[in-house]
Amino acid sequence: MEASGGGDMPVSVGAGERRMKMKVMVAVDESDCSFHALKWALDNVLNNMTTTATPDENIEDGGGMVFLVHVEPAFHPAVYPIGTSALYPASASLEDLMRKAQREKSTSTLSRALQMCRDNQIKAESIILTGDAREMICQAADQMHVDLLIMGSRGLGMLKRTFLGSVSDYCAHHAKTPILIVKPPEDKEHKKKK
Amino acid sequence: MATSSDSEKKQVMVIGIDDSEHSVYAINWTLDHFFAKNPSFKLVLVHARPSATSAVGFAGPVYAGAAEVLPIVDSDLKKIAARVLENAKQICIKNNITDVVVEAVEGDPRNVLCEAVEKYHASVLVVGSHGYGALKRAVLGSVSDYCAHHAHCSVMIVKKPKTKH
Repeated sequence: MEASGGGDMPVSVGAGERRMKMKVMVAVDESDCSFHALKWALDNVLNNMTTTATPDENIEDGGGMVFLVHVEPAFHPAVYPIGTSALYPASASLEDLMRKAQREKSTSTLSRALQMCRDNQIKAESIILTGDAREMICQAADQMHVDLLIMGSRGLGMLKRTFLGSVSDYCAHHAKTPILIVKPPEDKEHKKKK
Repeated sequence: MATSSDSEKKQVMVIGIDDSEHSVYAINWTLDHFFAKNPSFKLVLVHARPSATSAVGFAGPVYAGAAEVLPIVDSDLKKIAARVLENAKQICIKNNITDVVVEAVEGDPRNVLCEAVEKYHASVLVVGSHGYGALKRAVLGSVSDYCAHHAHCSVMIVKKPKTKH
């Protein structure tokens, strides 16, 4: 049982086992920022656990676990740019095609992420969700009771001026689990703006 | 900084602390999860102490007795700051962490924390989700929100769970 509670000291001694098994969720999309966040997580959050034991031991004990979550937008027929139903009498097949393409993209993103975890000898599982990224990520993190939700600060929105994208901002406010927002490494662009 | 660190330079983690239980929870959570064994981070705890004038300013711009109240308010704030720092040090000791910098800086927490990040070249800033003004309706405190947007490093917001599960 976890002895969390009020303002007094939660269990900090003798909880060695609990510390070892950190359950982390990393939200990934196709952006470099989110892969940078994953890399940062693997290097700094999860690798901590593997320094004191052999790799084999850890993989069996579950020295750390990563849930990679990717959210696909839900498709609605109204969104399709091609309006002429005469050319596509069965709108269902167009929807299927788009879903298939979307699914391929998601799978390839997640494979890349899974490979990174494997390269770092960290156990990982991937999850594909459909819907509004903001809500789905928060829900997934809460429902799975992860110790920490990690995500990049900016995703596919290309506004370089903003430090915090809308999904990260929403999750910072609404996720019930602790959340780590990883900022991208400083690049020339940032330096120019200063 | 004469510490016996490994050949690689350690990254710095700054935790913003105040007098609230959210803050205590955040410190404990962070130490449990990041500083248990062979911590790869150097720890810095920063407390932003509001200045006496800003604390009294809430009473309104025209407050005749302000000059008399200021020293009292100031000494209260100093006491609170000392207590916050002492608590923080105790938590570190309990977790066997000796390589830690603890400091109180006067000013607005938003600026103090962002400046601390610059000063220590921190790679992570940790804040609780709420501080003094723990409005029940607010899902994220204003300082945490500001830091998430403006700090030049990664930001970790540690949320205290409302109920046990």
